[in-house]
Amino acid sequence: MADTNTPPDARTEAPLLEIRGLRIGFPRPDGPPLVVVDGVDLSIRQGEILGLVGESGSGKSMLALAAMGLVPAPGYVMAGDIRLDGRDLVTLSEREWQKVRGRTLGMVFQDPMTGLNPVRSVGALLGESVRRHQKVGPEEAAAISEAALKAVGIPAARERLAAFPHQLSGGLRQRVMIALALVNRPRVIIADEPTTALDATIQAQILDLLRDRLHEAGGLMITHDLGVAAEICDRIAVIYHGRIVETGRTRDVLAAPRHPYTAGLLAAVPRFHGRGTRLIPIRGAPPGPVSERVECSFRPRCAKAAPECAAAPALEAIAPGRSVACHHPVAAAPAREDAQ
Amino acid sequence: MSDTTTSSRLSLLPRLRLWRSGLRGDAMLFAGLAMVGVLAVLALTVGLNPPREATTGNLRMRFRPPGTEGYLFGTDQLGRSVAGRVGAGMIWSLGIALVAATIALSIGTVLGLVAAWTPGWPRRVIRTVVDTVIAFPSLVIAVTVIALLGRGFWPLAITLGLATWPIAARVVYAEAMSIARRDYVVAAQLAGVGPVTILATHVLPALRPTLMTMFAFTFADMLVAESALSFLGLGVPITAPSWGNMLSESREYLVEAPWLMLAPAGAIVFAVVALNLIGDGIAANARKRGRAAM
Amino acid sequence: MTRSSAIRDAMLKRVTELAVLLFAITTLLFFLLRLGGDPAMIMAGDEADPEVVALIRARYGLDQPLIVQYLRYLGAMLTLDFGESLRASRSALGLVLERLWSTLLLALLALLITAVLSIPLGAWLGYRPDSGDRKAVNAVVFVLQGIPGYIAGLLLIQLFVVELRWLTSIGNQGISSWILPSLTLASFLVPKMVRVISANVSEAMREDYIRTARATGASGPELLLRHALPNALLGATALIGTQFAFLMSGSLITEVIFAWPGFGALLVASVTRLDFPVVQAAVFVIAVLVFLVNAGTDILFNLIDPRLRRQTT
Repeated sequence: MADTNTPPDARTEAPLLEIRGLRIGFPRPDGPPLVVVDGVDLSIRQGEILGLVGESGSGKSMLALAAMGLVPAPGYVMAGDIRLDGRDLVTLSEREWQKVRGRTLGMVFQDPMTGLNPVRSVGALLGESVRRHQKVGPEEAAAISEAALKAVGIPAARERLAAFPHQLSGGLRQRVMIALALVNRPRVIIADEPTTALDATIQAQILDLLRDRLHEAGGLMITHDLGVAAEICDRIAVIYHGRIVETGRTRDVLAAPRHPYTAGLLAAVPRFHGRGTRLIPIRGAPPGPVSERVECSFRPRCAKAAPECAAAPALEAIAPGRSVACHHPVAAAPAREDAQ
Repeated sequence: MSDTTTSSRLSLLPRLRLWRSGLRGDAMLFAGLAMVGVLAVLALTVGLNPPREATTGNLRMRFRPPGTEGYLFGTDQLGRSVAGRVGAGMIWSLGIALVAATIALSIGTVLGLVAAWTPGWPRRVIRTVVDTVIAFPSLVIAVTVIALLGRGFWPLAITLGLATWPIAARVVYAEAMSIARRDYVVAAQLAGVGPVTILATHVLPALRPTLMTMFAFTFADMLVAESALSFLGLGVPITAPSWGNMLSESREYLVEAPWLMLAPAGAIVFAVVALNLIGDGIAANARKRGRAAM
Repeated sequence: MTRSSAIRDAMLKRVTELAVLLFAITTLLFFLLRLGGDPAMIMAGDEADPEVVALIRARYGLDQPLIVQYLRYLGAMLTLDFGESLRASRSALGLVLERLWSTLLLALLALLITAVLSIPLGAWLGYRPDSGDRKAVNAVVFVLQGIPGYIAGLLLIQLFVVELRWLTSIGNQGISSWILPSLTLASFLVPKMVRVISANVSEAMREDYIRTARATGASGPELLLRHALPNALLGATALIGTQFAFLMSGSLITEVIFAWPGFGALLVASVTRLDFPVVQAAVFVIAVLVFLVNAGTDILFNLIDPRLRRQTT
């Protein structure tokens, strides 16, 4: 088990999962492919949770699926590489991918109501994955499955192995989904909006669980909710229209967002303190996928748009571990009084 | 609860289920309509006005194979033109199927809508009758009733129609119930729009693709049923040149004149495939629109 | 709702249906028979002696008022007394029952063939419905669906009996004579079941749980066999009842074509000869069979579908 006590800064080893220049496209019959993820760089170290924050349609889920080798056809990875422990995954054959999925990479999906096969018992689902990846007999697989259920906080784990998904509540089902992702102790766990379909009270419990379990490996947390990212992520990457527009440590990004889009997202998040602060929605709607971009994608919605924004800005480091893609970043001073 | 689970899992006929054949809706519809067009033209020309060779035998011309001068599909045991008889049989086979399908769909639509729109005993009675009749082999009922009513165009058409309406009623009922739960219908109800207006402006238009699909499929089923009954000797009068009768007679000459069987069999398969193409084409297009609208 | 009470409700519904059905059919037959002419004349034949007709009338109570006849008739039905065959001077029910096994044998063989053909084919077609080779097979299935079962039977006879002379087509003369009738009867069901199963499989393959299974490393065959197919087949079991009714319709024709000694052929023959006691007995037996199959399917469905299991949390 990884030592969760070591502060993230102390870990200097090479990243567990490293994504470089990833482009994902969907072919069109009448023109060049539509690019939904356009040159994304990300890295996740052991014991770290990276939050990928963006609106729906920003390409964040497609990126998660690409990391699992599950980009839905006819979409495909156009360029870039995805390295897990230094091994390139993009070039894997489907058969090789099957050995990676569920073994070194685990994934938690959004909707636990439709995401678990209704005619397979919890024990069958877990046991199938265990026996696929580990050379164990049925009894040992059941024991491993039971331990996984315990690890995600399911009471009476042994009895639950015989249960079918519809017999469980939404929160328990999502715990089963998480158990399914981590039953073979993967190196990296990807969670795509894992709390979006849940009640607010259950959300908090599941977030606590994810914080603990994802820190034991490496975690990629996909969410549209900055609040969720703030809860459990060590670092945040904000994705807009298929590109990363800002990255940094969670507290730095939240305290002083540099990209106007991040600032806008933050201004639109309700807070319990800071009474009387108005929620400011970002005007306009995100653009649809394009084949080629010229201007900064955020330009039509940006209050600070200037003539030089006609050329898309590159993601540039502005401080150690901090990057932003903007010609006119927001001032480094605290943007809001309530930010600490 | 068992009521709802049973109805939801049995509500739609298998043929109306989502079936992705990979074939395009428009292409199926076009092919089906073209084939039906050919049948309609033939029925209105040859069918209504059969050539003399179809009705009058020529004993010197018995069992001539297909392609014989002037006899496209050859001649039968009495020297009659098989092609001519297949043409003349259209009036019987297609006519009976058309009338029977119309009867079945009319009754089924009305009772299906009544069941959907009147909770309480009318719904219970209709649903019990529908479930009961559907569970029973319809051919057994038809065979028995025909034997008592006698052969002929109208007894056959009416019997088949009456034996088939419950299937239409069940589909219409299930479809109407699901339409009634759609947001725009609920909104109209909440806005105080009367049930008859809702039926006319929202439900019937939404039901149209289902009804058209079902008409094509029922037409095909009735065609098969008519020929099956005639084949059993319980359909149209023995002397009538219906496709089922021709098949039935052909069994005695399978060895010397297989074309006697192949010609009417081909006609039935042609018509059934044409109608299935139309039905599936409409269903596929409706699904595509439904998905695009979502 | 608990499983046992769900089963009880389903059974109650089926028994009601059976009662409604038997009552409706017997009543229909009774009045149609009177509508169609004098039953005594029908039984005695067109050229019978008036004295014979009078005797028959007295023996069958046909000289009584209609309502008395009807009530007597219903009473007889309730005690399963269908009377004697008008042709064979034997119990009508006995005649039907002695042919029960032949019909069931054919039906079971046809169901077996249907399962063996349509499950693998449907699974294969539904697994990737848009690929090119499957489109071609789909087109073939589409045309096959347009061939009525009895035409398929005639084509089979033409090929295997007339042309190739491999098989016989008359009656039950041992296993080789079972092949064509059971294939013919199966041809009533196979295209439809292939479509249902392929539709169910392709629907299941688009479900979220398939993506979840993929994310645990499941291979294509595992996705199909362990995840999509069980769901697809579960949906298809609900159709066993209606398909059995369809099978009974098909067996009337199949048995006539192949002179198969089952009660379907007996029913058709009795209908043509206006032998009403036998017709009634046959219809009764078919109704009870359909009821048993439907009731059995209901119970089976309740037992195997985990979604109908009691909520425990």
